[in-house]
Amino acid sequence: MDVELQEIQDFLAGIPPFDRLSAEVLGRMTRQLTIRYIRRGKQLPHEKESQALLYILRQGAVKLFSSEDNLVGMLGEGDVCTSFCMPNGSEAFRVSVAEDTLVYAIPCHVLEEIVRDEPSVADFIQHSAAERLKQAVAAQQHAASQTSSLMNTPVAVVMKAGVVSIDEHASIQQAAVVMSDKGVSSIVITGPDGPAGIITDRDLRERCLAAGLSASTPVSQIMTGNMVHVAPNAMAFDALMMMTRKHIHHLPVIDGRQLLGVVSPTDLIRHEGRNSVYITNSIRKAESLDALVELSRLVPGLQVQLIGMGGSPDHVGNAVSAVTSAFTRRLIELAEEKFGPAPVPYAWVAGGSQARREQMSNTDQDNGLIISDLMTDADREWFTLLADFVCDGLDACGYVYCPGEAMAKNPTWRQPQRVWRDYFDKWITTPEPMALMLSSIFFDLRVIYGERELLADLRGDVLDQTRSHQLFLAHMTANALHHRTPLGFFRDFVLVHDGQHDDTLDLKHNGLVPIIDMARIYALAEGIPAVNTVERIEKAAGSATLSKSGAANLLDAFEFIGKLRMEHQARLIGKGRDADNFILPGDMSRLEREHLKDAFKVIQTMQAVLEQRYMAGRVG
Amino acid sequence: MLSALLGPDAQRRRLLKKAPAGAMREYLATPFPDRRSDIYSVPIVSVDFETTGLDSKADRILSIGHVDLSGGEILLGSAAHTIIQPDTSLSEESVVIHRITDDEAAFGKPLETSIAALLEALAGKVMLAHHAAIERGFLQQVCRQVYGLAPVVPVIDTLSLARKWLARRNKEVEQGALRLYALRERYDLPRYNAHNALSDALATAELFLAQVEHMDSSKPPTLGNLLS
Repeated sequence: MDVELQEIQDFLAGIPPFDRLSAEVLGRMTRQLTIRYIRRGKQLPHEKESQALLYILRQGAVKLFSSEDNLVGMLGEGDVCTSFCMPNGSEAFRVSVAEDTLVYAIPCHVLEEIVRDEPSVADFIQHSAAERLKQAVAAQQHAASQTSSLMNTPVAVVMKAGVVSIDEHASIQQAAVVMSDKGVSSIVITGPDGPAGIITDRDLRERCLAAGLSASTPVSQIMTGNMVHVAPNAMAFDALMMMTRKHIHHLPVIDGRQLLGVVSPTDLIRHEGRNSVYITNSIRKAESLDALVELSRLVPGLQVQLIGMGGSPDHVGNAVSAVTSAFTRRLIELAEEKFGPAPVPYAWVAGGSQARREQMSNTDQDNGLIISDLMTDADREWFTLLADFVCDGLDACGYVYCPGEAMAKNPTWRQPQRVWRDYFDKWITTPEPMALMLSSIFFDLRVIYGERELLADLRGDVLDQTRSHQLFLAHMTANALHHRTPLGFFRDFVLVHDGQHDDTLDLKHNGLVPIIDMARIYALAEGIPAVNTVERIEKAAGSATLSKSGAANLLDAFEFIGKLRMEHQARLIGKGRDADNFILPGDMSRLEREHLKDAFKVIQTMQAVLEQRYMAGRVG
Repeated sequence: MLSALLGPDAQRRRLLKKAPAGAMREYLATPFPDRRSDIYSVPIVSVDFETTGLDSKADRILSIGHVDLSGGEILLGSAAHTIIQPDTSLSEESVVIHRITDDEAAFGKPLETSIAALLEALAGKVMLAHHAAIERGFLQQVCRQVYGLAPVVPVIDTLSLARKWLARRNKEVEQGALRLYALRERYDLPRYNAHNALSDALATAELFLAQVEHMDSSKPPTLGNLLS
């Protein structure tokens, strides 16, 4: 390699995917380049081009247009135009030079030969956006699993082995003696088919002593049967999530029928510092609003910590939402202590991201009360007190009031079930802008406390209606299409649809929300009761509304953008700032930008499918 | 025809009769490109010499860089850079400017073989340089020493193209405005950090492509339009 072409080789070495090539391979590639100067207004490829070329922009800018002549992207210095190397044709049909441009060009087949031993580079050149995104997500997951210990540590490693157990016919007293002798706080009860249940210190206190049960009663009477358990090869992180969600502190590790050990949050804390189980546990014990407010200060740290542990957006969203739900539940319990028991059954429901279990940092609260139709006018007062207490408490804990007043505090969202039923009927049969705006909150509901049936009944009826209501789905689709992804990046700007530039990228509204909105439509169209976006997409995969490959691509995009947002927020929190969704293109690596562009493409494709399905010839 | 008698091809044929066997004869035996050809069909070699000074009789060549252009493209595979072995040790001044030290120069090639290689690269092509009088002057001087005759070399000079362009627009030429890197800036061409014969040959080639593309003609100029 002539040292003099170093300037050009150095330039290539700074551009993904060529940054992965060795100096020797880059040197060979450099010598195969040709340099061209193309004036503004001309087209690529050059008129007389005999072979397909890959272009690397050294200076200038080009615009990419689809076959319908829509702008689909713009490339600037250091960007690579692979459009002509894709074997199945590419999204860019026409490339027009927007500024006088100096390009390095190389025949696709020559480059493929040079990078033969670098599959990731070859893939970049030939693969579609969706294929590249899939690889990016896999790489991201791999990197996360490398850095985290809980994510790649099997439960078997952190559990306490040699579980203390006792036969189901033994007495409570015998069990207590064994527990004292061995110095353990739980004991597994074994039956003829292996582990049958578990008792803990707490059970001895609450289910035996407080209940006035004789110490000679068989342990089987106070044990918790149908144990939630994990397999020894489950990851410690998943065990932690399970314990957080189910509020349990001892998780038996069972291989087939054989009990291998028990894992507790303490084991995991020892392994990895503070965690969500610790926080939810403390929330459950908090005796006052002040104590809860104090605990709420730990939430941003929790998010940062979970991310550091290598949690996926799905994991972290789950844990953070579980903590919010714990605050809500504890506030309701405190309210019931204060105002007395509820006059009639009710369900406290969360809406939006908390319901979808996709919460990240403290966000505003979205909630409501579905009250039994048995409620009398005299009962209303109690629910007003409850709603005010809980919503005010959440606000004090950093879950600020919903600007749109979608809260139980607002009498509109504190209604008997029949009124909710009317709401949904109206939303479905006469979709109007306001109703559609609320759909992101109220078509995603989850019971946080109280009577689950109240929501389940309602949801069953709603799904029966939405499934067959094409006009409603068309309106939902039109609404979902309002949130468009950008086309990509141009220099340090975000390139938006009409060719305009934005300074920052809103990862939430221009990345995640379009996917969340589509997942909701899939669920409503296919009668899927799930509200979590990943679950919705997984359940809808392979249905008439969503192909399996489309689902897989969307999940990749959701995970990739979610991860980027999560890390962005962790950086902000780490600097003591409030988490937000706005990222500067200049703060991302070139590679991240490339992958984001691929994720945008996937979303655009799926939006187009949805539009075609529900809106062709319907709504303008 | 007058141009046939006086034109470079006629001179070439005359000189060919006197040329000694070897690189010079090969060079002169190859016809020059037709002046009427569209510039994009003309093979061109962008050349740059680093020298100890501007006087081709007193100074000498330190290094040679060249790269081919064909069909409006610069072919990086053709790029070549040669350091010339000095007969005397380098003057301190040129070391400062060109950062070629005696040690580096010791790895160089003898002047004779280097010039033979350049003539081979130039055969049948047009030489492109910025302020081409220097390259042409040194090339002819060296050839007189080595072969006893100065070859005729058809030349395109990016500096004189720029001067004509400015003159046509009645623009005043500011101090330094015709330097290679100042002209490149005018066309928004990238800034190169390196300063050596090959990078300057490349920089000149890119400038030339930009100059041609910016000419206000509906079709590409002919070679005759551009020759100095």
